[in-house]
Amino acid sequence: MPVRAGQPAVVRPKRGTIAFFRKLVARRDGLVGVAILSVFTVLAIAPALFVGPLETAITATGPRLAPPSLEYPLGTDELGRSILNLTVHATRISMVIGLLATLVTVLIGAVLGITSGYVGGRFDAITMRIADFFLVIPTFVLAIILTAIIRDVLGTGSREVLGIRLSLIVIVFVIGITSWSATARIIRSQTLSLRELAFVDRSRVVGGSSRHIMRSHILPNVTNLIVANSVLVFAGAILTETTLAFVGLGDPFQPSWGQILDAARTVGAPGLGAWWYFVPAGTCIVLVVFAFTLLGGALDDVLNPKLRTRR
Amino acid sequence: MGIRYLLRRVAAALLTIGLIVILNFVLFRAMPGSPERILLGRMPGVTAQVLEATRERWGLDEPLFPDQFVAYLGSTIQGDLGFSYAARGRPVTEVLGQRIGPTLLLFGLGELIAIILGLALGAYSAWRRGGIVDYAGNGLSLILYSTPYFLLGMGLLLVFATGLGWFPTFGMTTAGATYDGPLEYLADLGSHLALPLVTVALGLVGQYAILMRSSVIETLTEDYVTTARAMGLREDRVLRHHALPNALLPTVTLVAINLGYVVAGAITVEVVFNWPGLGTLTVEALSARDYPVLQGVFLLLTVAVVFANLIADLVYGYLDPRVRV
Repeated sequence: MPVRAGQPAVVRPKRGTIAFFRKLVARRDGLVGVAILSVFTVLAIAPALFVGPLETAITATGPRLAPPSLEYPLGTDELGRSILNLTVHATRISMVIGLLATLVTVLIGAVLGITSGYVGGRFDAITMRIADFFLVIPTFVLAIILTAIIRDVLGTGSREVLGIRLSLIVIVFVIGITSWSATARIIRSQTLSLRELAFVDRSRVVGGSSRHIMRSHILPNVTNLIVANSVLVFAGAILTETTLAFVGLGDPFQPSWGQILDAARTVGAPGLGAWWYFVPAGTCIVLVVFAFTLLGGALDDVLNPKLRTRR
Repeated sequence: MGIRYLLRRVAAALLTIGLIVILNFVLFRAMPGSPERILLGRMPGVTAQVLEATRERWGLDEPLFPDQFVAYLGSTIQGDLGFSYAARGRPVTEVLGQRIGPTLLLFGLGELIAIILGLALGAYSAWRRGGIVDYAGNGLSLILYSTPYFLLGMGLLLVFATGLGWFPTFGMTTAGATYDGPLEYLADLGSHLALPLVTVALGLVGQYAILMRSSVIETLTEDYVTTARAMGLREDRVLRHHALPNALLPTVTLVAINLGYVVAGAITVEVVFNWPGLGTLTVEALSARDYPVLQGVFLLLTVAVVFANLIADLVYGYLDPRVRV
C-alpha cells in the first residue's frame, strides 16, 4: 500500500475478511497453520462426537496399560482408560485454557501498553519497569508458587466456573499475570509512534479526551499488532499450561495434554516402553504450538508488512 | 567503560533482586492462615498458649511493616532463607546447596553446547539463505522450539534408554555402586549425564539458531557489508569479519534475556531423568507445599539470571560503545 505524505503511515486491515483469509492461506505457512488448527478446533468443540464421553476410573473398561489394539487404537492407561478417548478430550481442555489465558494476557498487555504509551510520564516509567522485571525473572517458577498459593487460599473444591474447574481457572489467571509484559512492550512502542501522528493531534486539538483518543484512534491502529501477537501468546500459553500440568498442577478430573504427560511420567511409561501413553498427547502439543508459530509468522507478514524488517 | 553506565546497570540488577525479595515476603504472608499455623497447625495437641508463644518467639506478633519486614530483609541478606517444612526443619540454604551442583553441571554444559551449535547453525543458515541447510534447519528449529523440554526427554528416554538400552534410565550415578578409581566414576556419571544433556542442548538449540539467523540476515543488509562486498572481499571474509561480529552482539543479549524463561522451563528435564538438581527439588517441594524451599529456588534462580543479564549487559556495553550513551 503506497503511503502518501500527510497520510498516517499505518496499514489498516483490508476490509473484507474473505480477502484477508485468501491472502493468509495463499502462503504455505499460513495454510499449514490454519489446516492443523482447524482439525484441533473441531476436536475441541465436539470431542464426544468422535470418542464418546470422557472415560473415568469408574467407567474404564479396558485392560491396564495395554498396547494399541483394534478395540483400543492408542492403547490404555494404568486405569484401563482408552488413551484415544483421553487425548481427544484433553484437546478441549488444553485449547480452552490456552484461549482464556491468551485473552487475559492480551487484555492486560494491550490496556497497559496503550495507556503507558499514550499517557507516558511516571505511569509509563513504572509500568515498563514492572514489565522488564517480568521479562527477566524466571516467571515459570513464580507461576508455580502463585498457582499453589492461590489454590490454597481459595481452597480446592469441585467448584466450576463456566464448566471449567476452579483449579484450572487459577492457571488461566496465573499465566495472564506472568506473561503480559512482552505484549505490553510491543503495543507500547507502536502507540508511541502513533501518538505523534497528525490525526491523533487533530483529535486532541478538537477536544477529544485521552480515553476517547486511546479507544477510537490508537486501538484500531494497534489491532493488527494485537492479533498477530495473540497467536504467538496462544502458543506460549499452551506450552506454559502443559509444563504447569506436568509438574503436578493439572487437574486429573479435567485432564489436559500436560496432565496426561504427567500421569504417564508418574506411572513410568517411558521406562516401561509404554510409548502409546504419551506419544499421542505429545504429538498434539507439538503440532498445535508449531501451527500457532507458523500462523503467527504468516499473520505478521500479512497484517504488518512494514514491521517486518524492524525488530 | 563509562562509570555511569556501569552504575545504572548494577542498580537495575539490584532493584530486580530487591523486588523479588519483597515479592517473596508478600507471598509468604498471603498464604492461608498464617505461617505458624502452617508449621504447627497440623500437629495434634497444639494449644492456644503454644501458638501464642511461637508467634512471640518468631516475631509474628509484631506489625508486618516495618518490624517483620526489616527482620525478614535482614535475615535474607545474611543468607538465612528459613527452614524447609519437608526436610524436617533443615535450613533452606543447606537444601539448595545440595542440589545446585547437578543443575549447574547439566545446564552449564547444555547451554554451552546449545549456544555454540545454535549460533553456528543460525549463521550458516542465514549465509546460505534458502539453501538446504537453511530449509531443513529452520523447519527443525521450529519443531524443536514447539516441543516442551520434558517431552523431548521422555522421547529420548524411551528410545535410547528403554528401547536400545544404551544409557541408564534415571539418576546421576548407579545406586550403590563402588568405584575403583575416579575414571570409573566419571564414566558412570557421563553415561547418566548423556541423555539429559542432549535433551537440554536440543531443546535450546532451536531458538538460538532462529535468533542468530534473523540477526545475521539483518546484518547482511547493512551498508558496511555492502561496502565490504564492493571492496571485492571474498564472501566468507565478509561474513566472518564484518557481519558475524555485529550479529553476535544482539544475539548474545537476547540469549541472556531469555535465560530466565528458558532455565525455568528446562528444569523439568531433570524430573524426567530423576536428575537430583533444583528442578526435581522444585517439583518435590511443590507436592509437599514446602513454600520456603520453593521461594528459595525462586530467589536463587532470579539472582542467577539477573547476574547473567548484568554480565551480558556489561560485556555488550564494553564491546559496543553505542549502547553506553
